[in-house]
Amino acid sequence: MANKFDIHIRAEQEYAVLETEGYLNDALGEQLSQKAQDLIEKGYNQLVINLAKTALINSIGISILIEIIEALDEREGTLNFCGLSATQERTFRMMAIAKYAGIFPDEKTAVADFQ
Amino acid sequence: MNAEDKGTNYMPTSSAEETIQRLIFSLSELEQLGQTLISGHSNFNVSSKTYLRITLGTLQVTRGAILCYHPTDNYLTVAASAPDFDSTPIEIEPDEVTSFLECSHVEIATPPEELQSFINRNSDLINGSAMHRLWVPLKIHDEFLGILGLGEFLGREKLEEWEQELLTILAHQISIAIAYSQIVEGIQSEKFRLFMLAESAPQICQLLQPEDAAEQVLHQAVALLDANMGCLMLVHPEQQMLELLDAFPKSLISENGDHLQSISLKDINMPSPEAEDRTALNMLGSVVEEGRTNRCSAKKDDVFGGRNLMVGPIQGRDGDILGVLVVGDKEERGGRTLEFTEEDEMLLDSFAKQAGVAIENAHLHQEALEARELQSEMEEARKIQENLIPDTLPEIPGYEVAGYYVPRGPVGGDYFDCIELPNGGWGLSIADVSGKGMQAALLMATLRAGLLSEISSSKARTDSELIDMNDELIDMAMTLNSLLYVSGTEEKYATFFYSHLNPDTDILTSLNGGHNPPLIVRKDGNIQWLGQEIGGLPLGMFPNEMVPAIAEYQAEQTTLQSGDVVVYYTDGVTETVNIDDEFYDEERLEQDAIACADNDATLICNFIHNAVSDFQGDADQFDDLTLLVLRKK
Repeated sequence: MANKFDIHIRAEQEYAVLETEGYLNDALGEQLSQKAQDLIEKGYNQLVINLAKTALINSIGISILIEIIEALDEREGTLNFCGLSATQERTFRMMAIAKYAGIFPDEKTAVADFQ
Repeated sequence: MNAEDKGTNYMPTSSAEETIQRLIFSLSELEQLGQTLISGHSNFNVSSKTYLRITLGTLQVTRGAILCYHPTDNYLTVAASAPDFDSTPIEIEPDEVTSFLECSHVEIATPPEELQSFINRNSDLINGSAMHRLWVPLKIHDEFLGILGLGEFLGREKLEEWEQELLTILAHQISIAIAYSQIVEGIQSEKFRLFMLAESAPQICQLLQPEDAAEQVLHQAVALLDANMGCLMLVHPEQQMLELLDAFPKSLISENGDHLQSISLKDINMPSPEAEDRTALNMLGSVVEEGRTNRCSAKKDDVFGGRNLMVGPIQGRDGDILGVLVVGDKEERGGRTLEFTEEDEMLLDSFAKQAGVAIENAHLHQEALEARELQSEMEEARKIQENLIPDTLPEIPGYEVAGYYVPRGPVGGDYFDCIELPNGGWGLSIADVSGKGMQAALLMATLRAGLLSEISSSKARTDSELIDMNDELIDMAMTLNSLLYVSGTEEKYATFFYSHLNPDTDILTSLNGGHNPPLIVRKDGNIQWLGQEIGGLPLGMFPNEMVPAIAEYQAEQTTLQSGDVVVYYTDGVTETVNIDDEFYDEERLEQDAIACADNDATLICNFIHNAVSDFQGDADQFDDLTLLVLRKK
């Protein structure tokens, strides 16, 4: 079953931005997890995940996001989210994701938080 | 551990110091293991590498791996390994799980007989990876959680007894970490689903466009049930069909083509009690029939390509089944698909109830909007029609003329007029346009515009008036027929009666386009039905080229005498029904017209209208009611 999805990465010197596109389920989530892990292994400990083009997230997607938060936390890193819909933001707060990761309206403010 | 307590296992001094150092190191590592467990990092995918590293370091083992067990589908996956290796999911039989639970560890070289088959099946894993010496089952009580596999023991052939005890402690710590991770993950998942369920209700109920509501309902259902696909189908009760409203992903439509666009409920057999015989089609049928959520592993490839499916009924407020919500291919971490569970069924059932309210709300809103638009259109149409019906009629020298019009509802389809002609004559017309509302009003406006155009170009009368006037009216009828035919749709036409009155000669030339024949009450009480023998086709019903073959337009002439009364009317008069379902009909019209014929035209109009109203009594008015009365003074 084809679910059109993609991940775009923009790696700067101090941080990297991962932009997801499509349904954040197992398939997209695993890719996101792998790419985040690769960045962490390369020494990036400040990541932004932009979910502006992801309207749907299921429980597996949520658990993968929590996994990335924990992986970064092990390296004393920081994860910021941006581009969330109002429902996604409420969900993140309810799931306590917002306690361990920042939530920002856009990439600019999410990146500015690192400086 | 006290070495002396072990008696025969007393360690030589040289290795005793080493052992003490390792024990101190082990205690430190165990503390770190405990720290990892309480660090708040619940996800075993993240912490598994730490657990493996500590275990291998503590036991001085060079290679190892942690495999996690997935009980839903009976397979193991690699959570962490040193060195890294990839492996496809490893299948394990339930009796092999039982065997693992019954032993403390498995020496690969000398496995218990019950596990020989498992080891043989996974020889690649053993020979080519990091876990070829010793396997320790990871478990809590009777729950099998996975396997800790170890490779080479650094500098020794086997583990010392104290090392084996340490291994047991480490394996227990890892088991706790896995169980904790699973519990937290389960709680997170349920928390997420319950929040989504609570959140989705007000969200989807606020959507007022049916298409938006459908899309949101579908997307929320797919995400809520961890599904990979879904579709929303509405029941078409008259046609006994399920019609596709939306699908996720959209490619589902192209993949399944016409099969998914509409499904006939007539052809669906009810499912047999044996689940394996169920197809997606008969499950859809049973959900529509019984109104309760159902699930199946539709192995037969009929509509959805053999996916694991679950279908919930979408019910309206009155319990009618509005449609079905289909979700398919429940996913699990790692890319495998699962069958939906009873809990999923309950979740979809709850969600589908909310979806029913949302979809019904959106449709009701849409209907209200359309009703408002229709009302607005009717208002516009009424204004158009008001401008077409004359407020007052002109005075014709030597004649009286009066009209009466009662529309049914805000906009009717009747028309009448009396127009002075350039040649000194008068044109009296009455028409009944099919349908109501804006289309009828526009067709009526077209008819009137065409009539005025024809009248303005009418020729001056000559001595041979009889022939000329007949021909002129027939030409006019053909022109108007053509005009209305190209202006209207198939169902749009107008019955039309037109009379040309020459007040100098009192000759009334008439043409009938499928209309009710007007009634002439002569001064002496005789009755004549005008145009009864010359009935042509209604205007706009057929193209001009077909008219001669069906019924050509004809005109006829009659001369009016002093006291003669001509009553033009629409079928709303003669077809007025009373409470006994009787028609007012031509006979009553004739009697009432005779009864009032000595009065002036306005009184005659009022008299007939009152007579029709009295006859109708409390019965409903079904059609417009129009009268036009001409009386020769």
